[in-house]
Amino acid sequence: MAGSTPGSGFAEPAATLARADAAPVRDRRWEVVRRAARARLAPFGAAVLLLALVAALGAPLLAPYDPVKQDLGHALAPPGRAHLLGTDSIGRDVLSRMIWGTRVSLVAGFVSVAIAAATGCVLGILAGYAGGRVDGLVMRLMDAVLSFPPLVLALALGAVLGAGLTGVLIALGVVYTPTFARLMRGQVLAIKAREYVDASRALGASGWRVACRHVLPNATAPIVVQASLSVAFAILAEASLSFLGLGIQPPAASWGSMINAGRGYLQQAPWIVFGPGAALFVTVVGLNFVGDAIRDALDPRLRT
Amino acid sequence: MGRLVLHRLGATIPVLLLVTAGVFSLLHLTPGDPIDVMMAESVDATVKANLRRELGLDRPIAVQYVAWMGRVLRGDLGRSVRNGEPVIENVGRRIRPSLQLALLAMAISLLIAAPVALASAVRRNTSIDRAGTTFALFGICMPNFLLALLLIFFFGVTLRWLPVSGYTDPAEDLIAGVRSLVLPAVTLGLALAAVITRTLRSSLLEALTEDYVRTARAKGLSEWAVIRAHVLRNALIPVVTVLGLQLGTLIGGAVITEYVFGLPGVGRLVVDAVFARDYPLVQGVVLLIAAGFIASNLLVDLLYGWIDPRIRIR
Amino acid sequence: MAAMEPGRNAQSVSRRAFLGWCAAASGAPAAVLGARRAEAQAPAPKKGGTLRVGFYIEAATMDPHLSGSKIDRQVYHNIYEPLVTLDVRLGIKPGLAESWTQPDVRTLVFKLRRGVKFHDGTDFNAEAAKFNFNRMKTEPKSVRKGEVASIDSVDVVDPYTIKINLKRPDAALLATLTDRAGMMVSPKVIQERGSELERNAKGAGTGPFEFVEWVKDDHLVIKRNEAYWNKQGGPYLDRIRYRPIPDDTVKLQSLQAGEIDVMDYVAPRDVAAVKADRNIVVVDVPSLAAFSYQLNTTRPPFNAKALRQAVAYSLDLDQIVKGVWLNVGVPANGPVPPSSWAYDRTIPPIKRDLARAKAKLAEGGQPNGFGFTMTTANIPINIQEAEVIQAQLGEAGIAMKIKLVDAATQLANGNSRNFDMISYQWSGRPDPDGNSYQFFKTTPGTSLNWSGISNPQIDALLDRTRETFNAAERKKLFSDLTRILQDELPMIYIVHPIEPKAFAPRVQGYEPIPDGMMRFKDVWLK
Repeated sequence: MAGSTPGSGFAEPAATLARADAAPVRDRRWEVVRRAARARLAPFGAAVLLLALVAALGAPLLAPYDPVKQDLGHALAPPGRAHLLGTDSIGRDVLSRMIWGTRVSLVAGFVSVAIAAATGCVLGILAGYAGGRVDGLVMRLMDAVLSFPPLVLALALGAVLGAGLTGVLIALGVVYTPTFARLMRGQVLAIKAREYVDASRALGASGWRVACRHVLPNATAPIVVQASLSVAFAILAEASLSFLGLGIQPPAASWGSMINAGRGYLQQAPWIVFGPGAALFVTVVGLNFVGDAIRDALDPRLRT
Repeated sequence: MGRLVLHRLGATIPVLLLVTAGVFSLLHLTPGDPIDVMMAESVDATVKANLRRELGLDRPIAVQYVAWMGRVLRGDLGRSVRNGEPVIENVGRRIRPSLQLALLAMAISLLIAAPVALASAVRRNTSIDRAGTTFALFGICMPNFLLALLLIFFFGVTLRWLPVSGYTDPAEDLIAGVRSLVLPAVTLGLALAAVITRTLRSSLLEALTEDYVRTARAKGLSEWAVIRAHVLRNALIPVVTVLGLQLGTLIGGAVITEYVFGLPGVGRLVVDAVFARDYPLVQGVVLLIAAGFIASNLLVDLLYGWIDPRIRIR
Repeated sequence: MAAMEPGRNAQSVSRRAFLGWCAAASGAPAAVLGARRAEAQAPAPKKGGTLRVGFYIEAATMDPHLSGSKIDRQVYHNIYEPLVTLDVRLGIKPGLAESWTQPDVRTLVFKLRRGVKFHDGTDFNAEAAKFNFNRMKTEPKSVRKGEVASIDSVDVVDPYTIKINLKRPDAALLATLTDRAGMMVSPKVIQERGSELERNAKGAGTGPFEFVEWVKDDHLVIKRNEAYWNKQGGPYLDRIRYRPIPDDTVKLQSLQAGEIDVMDYVAPRDVAAVKADRNIVVVDVPSLAAFSYQLNTTRPPFNAKALRQAVAYSLDLDQIVKGVWLNVGVPANGPVPPSSWAYDRTIPPIKRDLARAKAKLAEGGQPNGFGFTMTTANIPINIQEAEVIQAQLGEAGIAMKIKLVDAATQLANGNSRNFDMISYQWSGRPDPDGNSYQFFKTTPGTSLNWSGISNPQIDALLDRTRETFNAAERKKLFSDLTRILQDELPMIYIVHPIEPKAFAPRVQGYEPIPDGMMRFKDVWLK
């Protein structure tokens, strides 16, 4: 299954990245170069991530205004001294909403990936360890999820669960699960073949015990690497869903929903879109650098 | 090889069953029904009940699923509830713009990626290389809905160079058609260009270290001649693979791009159908998209084995 | 004719026109005067050209008897004709029927126009009309059944006279027949290619334009009917090409870029900018619509009338209409829009009064406020309105949550009464009956009465509006209804929106009718 591990086809670019990573690359010298480049970029990524974390945690302190406080008399005010990034169509401070929106984006990114990683790992271990029919069933299920148009899945889940962040987290979690399940299964199969597993089996340890004792610790590195890279794209995917109106419920803001609300005002008030747009872009770039760095640190074998 | 193909084809059947059963149950769990949506402002209960009976919507879900499956096996994907049009015709019409968009996006991405990757690879570890790799990263991280809005804003509204929405079939009017597809194709193509730049750059670097390249260099050939004669062709193989995989995703997956630019493609069709609760249409399109996706994966896997026997699939 | 001056004047003229509309309700003919002046300056119409129209969604079917979608009517009003039509003040004027009489409250006699031919060359006559009514009543898939439910039978009196026998008095029927229920389709087309009519309306209508082709998802083309019976005025246009453009912003950009000549609707957020654009002419068309929220009276909290009132008194409609609708609409006092003859301008919209709201909270047993959920559509302007309402209610101690749903879910929640408060954006009907009866009448089973209101006084009033044929008396009944509704509050009315339409300056001669339908018979291109 060489190239057929599409990460998520959620946001369109997300799909493309996973494939890029899957492309076979083996040049060693090039590795060194890239590592050097990353070494320069990783601090930038770390700074972006740190800034985002600070904004998310310190939102109540940092935001100059109440993010839901309306001022219809000052709607669509351009950036200025009172409102550094201007106001939106009902006079809310764009900067404050952007800062609070960081929470939503980070929660969406980390929680959905956590859901996917947890579910994927359990299914992967199950499939890899049990083998046979269970393996077939689980992996066919994962194939089905992968070939399901992700947006339809999110739309339907949103309608079933009711629109809101929970629906988005679950939808994203489901979409990213197969990646982790496949990865875990591969690890399990590889480790299962090793001797010390056979040895503990011979000593009478149960299947699950072996899995927890030996398989999990060994598989941690690649899972963490995959997870760290997935977070950036989960954030993008949440923004795409919010852009389509499927994400967080008003009056709370996420970057995607701010861009959606502002797109009708692109001509009159471009600042509504540009602020959260820039935040989204910079965060995703930064998280990518961090993800690359984690990969280098944790698992040199996975380097591209 | 033949047995392998058969085996893989056999494995797709349970996958398709799972996908269709999944979409069926999800749709029916979703509040709302097609008749209500179709006749939103009508209160005539008997008319609605009659329509539901006629369309079989009053039967249990399992029965509806089996009946639908039975028809699908006979090659009948059913008709849209909203306008009574056969699903297959609907998709057939919508796949044209999607396909054209995907192909144009790929062409654009190659036009951008090839020179960038080549420059990066040949002048590796220079500022040109860094600019190239940074571009690739930015292209991947750029949310396409934001890019779409920016493109519309600058090229459609401010400069008025290109139409901001709508679709003309290039087969009918080549120039108008291409013009209507340029902005959405650039939106999709830029992200794709980023991916291809990464892939192509790595594979070029790899190819440049091969023995025959060293031999060619030793013979005194110029760098460009070496690249043209020995490197480029080999380096393009992974690119072709990436493109092949993308085709499946781009058709049916370019929902946001199709939406923002008002292109009547497959992605928009399926989302509109979900909103209209047009069950047969959603089910039909999802089935076709899933089948297309699986087929393109299978094709690429086989292609891999054929191109490079070393990575023949398990 | 009205307000089609190019450039900057459009704003002032259209504003005047709009005030005129409101005045029309009280009998002052300001709009028509404004329009006449514009007409006098205009050069003579000329034939030719293709009008490119952008609509928000694609048509669903070409068969008026099976159509359940509002957008279809935009096309129908150019290729089909109803028995009677609306004038700019929502009065009834002759259409395919030259005249009508009402010998008693259960009988309606139409004298049909002679010399009218369908586009397929067959004659329009009494037999054809009877055929159409029968099809509406008996065709299994007919969506018109409810609208013609009061019709018992149709008799052909002579080749150009039909007599409609009613089961019960129905004062609103004439207004209903100005739209799809009154549109006449060629019996020959229905008999020969009935099922195909949904996609292809060739030869089916009598209107000033005839159907040419419909390429789904792309365009629908109609062309001038050279043999149109009415020799006065148009049709002038060679062709009309409709294109679906679902996104308001993109549609506007298409107009600005010269890709279309007409757009059906300008969103409030764009109105100011578009009016400032010298290359676009905006016509404010007052609508029949009433945008509101239904309150679920069948379960807590809104089974308590005092709490419904507490919500209503907490709302500041002026602020909503100004801040959210940007004054592209007027605060609503009830279901009847200002464009209607039945609108009572002496009844003010409910005013914000927080002290009164507090008192009502105490009366409803919730002196410290209460919480509930609003269900509304996932559309930017709905979201904005919900957010503003949320803030206003918060000031009164009422905690409102917002739940966004898609249209299908909204309908399902409404029909099953699974909501506390739900937005309802009714597009409106020419007769006030269509804006009230089905919302407030006690009806078991399916209806638009999602609030579950059942009030004998309201029921009796609604019945009387259908049995009363004198307009002044009917108007008084609707005023009484509006007052009761302001107290009973099964629905809280927010705004009667204006639906501005925008044109390229070369488009001339458009006459705005408050039903929002764009009739292009007399439109021409400079």
